[in-house]
Amino acid sequence: MRPENYQAKSHPPSNEYELFIGPNHPGIEGNYAFKLRLHGDTVIEGKADAGYLHRGFEKLMEGRLWIQNIALVPRICVPDPVPMEVAYSLAVEELCGLEVPERAQWIRVMQLELSRLASHLFTFGGHAATTGMYTPSYWGVADRDLILDLFEELSGGRVYHIFNIPGGIRRDIPEGFLERVSSTLDYIESRLPDYDNLLFTNQVFVTRAKDVGILNQEQALEWGVTGPNLRATGLTFDVRRDDPYLVYDQLEFEVAIESAGDAWARAMVRRKELLESIKIIRQVLARLPDIQGPVRAPIPNPLAWNVPAGEAYARVESSKGELAYYVVSNGGDKPYRVHVRGPSSMHAVQVLEWLSVGARIEDVAQIMFSLDACPPEVDR
Amino acid sequence: MSDLKQIPVVAKETGKERTNPLANVFDELIRFAQARSMFMLHYCTGCGAIELPPAMTSRFDMERLGIQPMVTPRQADILLITGYVSIKTLKRIILTYEQMPSPKYVIGICSCTVNGGMYWQSYATAKKLNEYLPVDLYIAGCMPRPEAVIEGLRLLMDNIKSGKSEPWKDYYQRYDYYLGNQQHLFGDDWQTPTDIIGEAEHFGLMGPETEGEHTRLLQQHQQPLEPHKMRLK
Repeated sequence: MRPENYQAKSHPPSNEYELFIGPNHPGIEGNYAFKLRLHGDTVIEGKADAGYLHRGFEKLMEGRLWIQNIALVPRICVPDPVPMEVAYSLAVEELCGLEVPERAQWIRVMQLELSRLASHLFTFGGHAATTGMYTPSYWGVADRDLILDLFEELSGGRVYHIFNIPGGIRRDIPEGFLERVSSTLDYIESRLPDYDNLLFTNQVFVTRAKDVGILNQEQALEWGVTGPNLRATGLTFDVRRDDPYLVYDQLEFEVAIESAGDAWARAMVRRKELLESIKIIRQVLARLPDIQGPVRAPIPNPLAWNVPAGEAYARVESSKGELAYYVVSNGGDKPYRVHVRGPSSMHAVQVLEWLSVGARIEDVAQIMFSLDACPPEVDR
Repeated sequence: MSDLKQIPVVAKETGKERTNPLANVFDELIRFAQARSMFMLHYCTGCGAIELPPAMTSRFDMERLGIQPMVTPRQADILLITGYVSIKTLKRIILTYEQMPSPKYVIGICSCTVNGGMYWQSYATAKKLNEYLPVDLYIAGCMPRPEAVIEGLRLLMDNIKSGKSEPWKDYYQRYDYYLGNQQHLFGDDWQTPTDIIGEAEHFGLMGPETEGEHTRLLQQHQQPLEPHKMRLK
């Protein structure tokens, strides 16, 4: 600004003021903004400002072939891409009446749980960083990288795998892959006590996170909260158990719950799910060598693939909550309409706005990270 | 020592004669120091942001090259655009870029900043970043691995050291072109709080395309911004 344009302004009383967090801010998850009205240190109103990541996915998918959309869907949620591919594939398979070979279903479960592990490791690091502890985020990112290495070996891509297609998976697992998964799991499991000492039983974290952002069960159900955030309010609901897809009905696992509903409970649910995911992958590793056969059902020429007319709804449990695809086909080679039911739009908009009221300013970032919202999925 | 003052020393940038014989040596030294301590503002516009934590933390550790994240644009040297740029984000990117002190460098990560990438047909994204900002280098890939990000930053360091990386001057010298593209996207009444023409005069970087029809249009609309008007739509 040129000096001649500068004019000193008289300001309103400073006990009540507005503050923008984001879109480019270290305390916010991704490209997302949050506008606060504050009285002193206390938030009196929060307003979410989404739309920075809008790409018009649902429109883009209408313009691409059924098989091309597989490359597009993982971009909807970057830290946890596998459930996106699987849910879309499940919906298309339902439309076509395709039977997925059993081996492919087990390998899909393994990918889903590895992706959940990676996403949770990433999330609690971020949550710890908002309470001022940076070591867990360094550890979490470093351990997540080991899982990304496994994905790279499996599919060629570190972050986006594009490995699940309607009808199964692209190719069989490489030789010796199961041993490497097993040793990585051993390593991550051996790290869990360290994480407990560093973060989950650390008084710094417990004191900061307890009684912050309390979400009660009634309100959570009314708003359509799902996933770890719902289970932290004491309700045992998990799509994997209550509406099993793939081979989850043959697996033994517990649904992790906490009853307090605050930021600490949400972190603890994710901590317990780390162990449950490791258990599930161990069961898959034990069963997979016995199940031989093809990994892909025969599909027609994917470039001229007319999916029968109809509509399908497929849902999976992603690391953020319940994720669903509603796909409508009019018999053409492209979808007629696709709707993505993502978990994050409720968590990051309505729930965050409501929980931030009455919170202190330093807890807003923590509430956002404890809800584990995924901004690209909010905007789509 | 009086002989030294007879040696004509021509500065590389401005063409003005410098009297200090050590001027070019100082330039070299400053560029060396600049290349070795870069503060990076990573605007996490899109997917590419997910490969930055591995690149910055323990495994790939960008900090050993002297590159550190910085939280405010006013102290940053590099602006990292990680991924597709939606139109709403692009306004914030331009605001952020204009707040950064010169010399400043822009790196576009991911294919989406190069030509739109996966979202070439999307109605909501800006396709080519270098139409709106001067980009120093692109790191293509969807998404580039952390090694590629670090390799790109090392290339930028080499360019800075040898004095080749000067697109930030292009923003002053061809402001009319960039402003025209911005007005095309955001509407005729687009303005930012920064006075680019005034800065160009200050740096001695007025070029033939600094002012033109688009800057005249800007001056018609330009008014001192009240704080509440600085909120973008």
